[in-house]
Amino acid sequence: MPNAIALKVLIVDDQNSVRQMTRMTLEEIGIRQIHEAENGHQAMETAAVQPLDLIISDFNMPEMDGLGLLRAVRGHPVARKVPFILLTGRGDRELVVKAAQAGVNNYLIKPFTAAILRQKIEQVMGKLS
Amino acid sequence: MASLEQLKLTFFDECSELLQQTETGLTDIKNGQDTDEAVNAVFRAVHSVKGGAGIFGFEALVEFAHVFETVLDAVRRGSLTASPDVVDVLLAASDVLSDLVQMSRSGEAIVPGFGSECRTALEHLMARDKTGDAASQAGESAAPADFDGIEFTPVRADQFDGAAANADGIRTFQITFRPKPELLKKANEPLYIVRELRKLGELDLVAATDELPGLAELEFDRPYIGWTGTLRTTAAREQVDEVFEFVVGDCELGIEELADANSATLVEVPQSPPLAMEEPSAVTPAAAEKTAGSSAPGGAVNTALSAANPGHVPAAKPAATTTRIELEKIDRVVNMVGELVISQAMLGQIVNDLPEGTSNRLAQIVEEVVHHTRELKDSVMSMRAQPVGSVFQRMPRLVRELATKTCKKVRLEMSGETTEVDRSIIERLGDPLTHIIRNAVDHGIEAPADRLTAGKNEEGAIRLAAEHRGGRIIIEISDDGAGINSDRVLKKAQEKGLVGADAVLSDDEINNLIMLPGFSTAEKISDISGRGVGMDVVRSNIQDIGGRISLKSERGRGMMIQLALPLTLAVMDGMVIKVAQETYVVAMSAIVECLRPARSDINSLIGTRGMLKLRGDLVPLVSLGDLLNLNSTADESDDCVVIITEAGDGKRFGLVLDELCGHQQVVIKSIEESYGSVPGIAAATILGNGRVAFILDVEKLSDLAASASPNVAIAAKKASAAKVAIN
Repeated sequence: MPNAIALKVLIVDDQNSVRQMTRMTLEEIGIRQIHEAENGHQAMETAAVQPLDLIISDFNMPEMDGLGLLRAVRGHPVARKVPFILLTGRGDRELVVKAAQAGVNNYLIKPFTAAILRQKIEQVMGKLS
Repeated sequence: MASLEQLKLTFFDECSELLQQTETGLTDIKNGQDTDEAVNAVFRAVHSVKGGAGIFGFEALVEFAHVFETVLDAVRRGSLTASPDVVDVLLAASDVLSDLVQMSRSGEAIVPGFGSECRTALEHLMARDKTGDAASQAGESAAPADFDGIEFTPVRADQFDGAAANADGIRTFQITFRPKPELLKKANEPLYIVRELRKLGELDLVAATDELPGLAELEFDRPYIGWTGTLRTTAAREQVDEVFEFVVGDCELGIEELADANSATLVEVPQSPPLAMEEPSAVTPAAAEKTAGSSAPGGAVNTALSAANPGHVPAAKPAATTTRIELEKIDRVVNMVGELVISQAMLGQIVNDLPEGTSNRLAQIVEEVVHHTRELKDSVMSMRAQPVGSVFQRMPRLVRELATKTCKKVRLEMSGETTEVDRSIIERLGDPLTHIIRNAVDHGIEAPADRLTAGKNEEGAIRLAAEHRGGRIIIEISDDGAGINSDRVLKKAQEKGLVGADAVLSDDEINNLIMLPGFSTAEKISDISGRGVGMDVVRSNIQDIGGRISLKSERGRGMMIQLALPLTLAVMDGMVIKVAQETYVVAMSAIVECLRPARSDINSLIGTRGMLKLRGDLVPLVSLGDLLNLNSTADESDDCVVIITEAGDGKRFGLVLDELCGHQQVVIKSIEESYGSVPGIAAATILGNGRVAFILDVEKLSDLAASASPNVAIAAKKASAAKVAIN
């Protein structure tokens, strides 16, 4: 049963306002150690050197989208096992299937409440204390 | 931590940029640059607006954005072609979206049914979508927590082995390890080796216990247990070797890479610890197809620097770090710097007035202060500088809407959007520019049929360009329309008594009549350009900010309006002059030339100061002393100074004064609040000696001189005629 406060989470989204809202929502469920990246490249830089317990990434980003980031993470010797949750929009059904094939742990449809975020995280990490 | 309100502000700022991207992208697509990347960029921008709107609860915005996004998705997938009429609907949609964002930002209640016309158009487009996916997607209302209809099970982290279904780049090494007796004595711990290997990937070991003696014979400082096993990893051979680097001599080690039927493309990830590819990846044909096949939206291919895909690695755009500052704070600093400039000038004055040789050191330091103050002023002014693009970007939509309203086809081309100008100018530029462009569409560009008859393109073009030139910013608005109908203009001006019935005017002069107050030739007063408050208001707006407007027109070919504006309204480089005993300041940017003419070069006329022979031209002279009602001795003396400058209509003339006192930076202080608008006086400033000096409005001076003495107008005419004769 992982302790929420001990979890190290990386948020990836090119929109600052969305990153901050996601951060606020994570803090609502007790997570405190939060890293941010605004694109896939920055995210990989962080993932390569920081021990992470979870990556939450948007799909819709320029240059490297969420799926590309997922594949990069899964191919990286250090970061490959980090659990990955992909943020999707309402219409991104097929995307989820592709993401599953690429090794995603779970997905989250935007906009989401703190309750749903928690549920999705717990589906991957186990009940949070 | 940011509050919700601050985040909303951030979101709206993001929206401005996203909407701009949308408009620009759609315009590019309409102009034929409909690359995948352009379409994707537009889709992503609208998707981002929708996403943020959903998070912050702007429902009307979400709904419209969703319909818009759905159509864009159809275009992106190729199931809907981006033909011009389709793009027009999309452009209209981007306008509606922009309005909705604006209303959400200001908290205005959104009228139900706002944008419904556009929405219906979008829905018609969706019905065209061949695959029919669009319609089903649009049907979803509330965001569900889960997608139904797909097979997805969340993968628990602890059960996760990190393997992707398409195993990419996993090698298998067979490792055998047998420690030699000295291993432990050299402070090596076999357990650490196992741990390190584990970090690299999946380890599957079997212990080799054959060397383990009975308990009685066991020596505590000797290792006995070796192992063999396999490591599945994406790491390179070198990294595996590295794990054993300290024990290499003290063990028997075997590392062998096993052929793995699954390994296809080797994915090289940027920024990771050295993932040296020993040889170019062995790309099987199947894998090459995979990398080539997955195109947009996956950015995945771009990051895979596989041999099959050499070349384009998208360079990360160096983003300028920005921060939000309240404008008030910047304005305060600008004011302070202004005062500093004045103080520094006074200091300079005092030092100048000291007896020669008092202190070289002091003079030197004051020089430095002047230098630093100038740099500080430039820096601070650049903080207030904004690209004109911020005003320009309203124009495409304006042109679109007007063209539709007047049933004309008009294209707007813009250049020089990055040219920077002080905020104070930007704020005052919007209205006049809007009006000029409205005129161009309404009166300038002809109806499509008429254009065809005239042998022109059906689509009219309006060009909006900005550039820095000679210390000013020059904005040109030109069109290829019908130009000014000078006959009609002259007739109307005569009817309105603005010009004498028997006046003889050049074409240029006639064209400039449209800037006189009360002028309008529109037969029916369209609501677009209004009733005759047009160009003269534009002209006074421009002149109020110290700018100049001029126009040229060619009947049947088009018209060009040029605005010449100062770079800032706060500080300027000025030339301090003396007329009689009075000190004035003239903007350096207005001065074309300064000279001390020889008496022989000046011809006198009655009523004006005279004419100056200058390199083959004749330049009319105006006595400042006369104009300002001062007793200037320059009129009589042989020794006078002439400043050559340009009048409002571009014609050169010379100002006669007594003395040039030097140039300095002056802080412009407006006197309008205290004195109202005084023709000829632009503003005031405080000089180094602490006294107030007026800043002369040079362009207006020539008007004043001309109206005060009709001879100057005649003189100017004669000069241009004479110039033609001489040349």
